[in-house]
Amino acid sequence: MIDAVLEKIREADFFQELSDDALAAVAAKATLRKYATGDALMRKGDPADSFHLILEGHLKIVTTDARGDEIIINRVGPGETIGELALVDERPRSAGAIALDNVEALELTKEAFFDLLDHRLDVSLGILRGFSNRLRFSTTYIEKVIDWSQKTAEGDYSFLEHTQPITNRPGTDDDKAAQLLSAFYSMVRRVKAREEGLKQQVEQLTFEIDQERRKKEFEEITGTEFYARLKEQAHTIRKKRQGL
Amino acid sequence: MSEGKIVSIHSFRGGTGKSNTTANLAAQIAMMGRRVGVVDTDIQSPGIHVLFGLDDQKMGKTLNDFLHGAATIREVGYSVGEHPAEGQGRAQLKGKQIFLFPSSIKGGEISKILKEGIDFNVLNEGLQTAISEFDLDYLFIDTHPGLNEETLLSIATSDVLIVILRPDNQDLQGTAVTVDIARSLDVPNLLLMVNKALPKHDASAIKAEIESQFDAPVTSVLPLSFDMAENASRDLFSLSYPDHEWSQALKNVVPFILNAK
Ligand SMILES: Nc1ncnc2c1ncn2[C@@H]1O[C@H](COP(=O)(O)OP(=O)(O)OP(=O)(O)O)[C@@H](O)[C@H]1O
Ligand SMILES: [Mg+2]
Repeated sequence: MIDAVLEKIREADFFQELSDDALAAVAAKATLRKYATGDALMRKGDPADSFHLILEGHLKIVTTDARGDEIIINRVGPGETIGELALVDERPRSAGAIALDNVEALELTKEAFFDLLDHRLDVSLGILRGFSNRLRFSTTYIEKVIDWSQKTAEGDYSFLEHTQPITNRPGTDDDKAAQLLSAFYSMVRRVKAREEGLKQQVEQLTFEIDQERRKKEFEEITGTEFYARLKEQAHTIRKKRQGL
Repeated sequence: MSEGKIVSIHSFRGGTGKSNTTANLAAQIAMMGRRVGVVDTDIQSPGIHVLFGLDDQKMGKTLNDFLHGAATIREVGYSVGEHPAEGQGRAQLKGKQIFLFPSSIKGGEISKILKEGIDFNVLNEGLQTAISEFDLDYLFIDTHPGLNEETLLSIATSDVLIVILRPDNQDLQGTAVTVDIARSLDVPNLLLMVNKALPKHDASAIKAEIESQFDAPVTSVLPLSFDMAENASRDLFSLSYPDHEWSQALKNVVPFILNAK
């Protein structure tokens, strides 16, 4: 396998924990594939028998809605892997992948993948680490977003000042998280701006009491025999209590 | 007679937040270790038992029974601290000294009292007995909106009257009459509280305006809140969400009660 390809594998997030030697073992089992614009790497429902690491070009990940129309759920590019989870959980493809331009990808078949896991403890460990990094990574970001959402709900926007949305290498998991976080940031900024707008247009309430009506209603209540007796009883009781 | 104070919560119009305010203020003061009672004198449409999670089945003797001479005040008092209901907020009242004197929710019992009327001296004696027998520091009264006879009785016997209003002209008009009545009945501590203020309203301007209209302190301006509406009287909101702005604003009322002479 040529060095340029090895270099690309090394840059892939999913393989970042693998040693050069382990990477070479992966590369040796993989096949280089080329696709033209519009070609399908996989279709929804296909059995999952391989996974791909994209070296060049971009793909859209698609599914279909209830009416059968295509919905694009993601766009992937160099350095990203597709289909690796399906290899492990053995479920059919949950979405299709279609080339948006000329695509070069490394395909690792299921047999080759399991063969590697069987024979190379270092590769197995490296790939496990790749999976667990992703999990840990998602959990950290989810926790951050939960924390910020709570703050936002309480009207505390101070985190906008002392945290920065991270920008990262495009195509990586960091990049996706960064997209989520910056979408979140801009949402909170807008909420904050709208709230400040509202505060500025605070309405000056003015109250108007109809004094004549007030007097009339007061007299209606206090003019009864019931009220006269109540007032007297209340007076007596208050006196008695004060005396103690 | 004991030193305990009677604190009535009233509003001219219904749905202003009396029951929620009464229950939460009582709970806050009980949490401070004081001995607190809560009486429902809203005989026509009782409601405060709901906030403490007391239902039909658990409700024993009621204020109605006391008023007809069918029960003693001791029998009517329900220890919330011994039977805390479900809910993150209510559960915190476990072991606190807080007693509920509920009003009957049975149609027949309600119409009976309304027909017979309530004798001021009997009601007053009941309240004083509740204070002495349960050794209460504060006895809160949740009232029926408007100025009907039961409500006038509650106002007449109060040491502290908290009138709740919404920032709305109709509420203000009605509150004006209530304030005049409270002064005519010599209530020693007259306090106002605003509930359901909109975010677009400037709380300090509302406070200043209302204080100048009535020459009485506005203890706090509580916001209209989706969270409160969603709570729908299912729990004691200020205990379950102590940091919420509604809860914080509610807690601002507490020192006014503690400092009342
Ligand atoms: N600040 C608030 N924001 C939103 N909803 C509120 C607020 N305060 C009270 N509520 C809701 O308004 C309704 C009426 O409240 P509550 O029963 O305490 O009022 P009330 O004055 O006792 O009513 P009534 O006159 O019928 O006895 C309840 O559903 C309560 O949850
Ligand atoms: Mg009520």
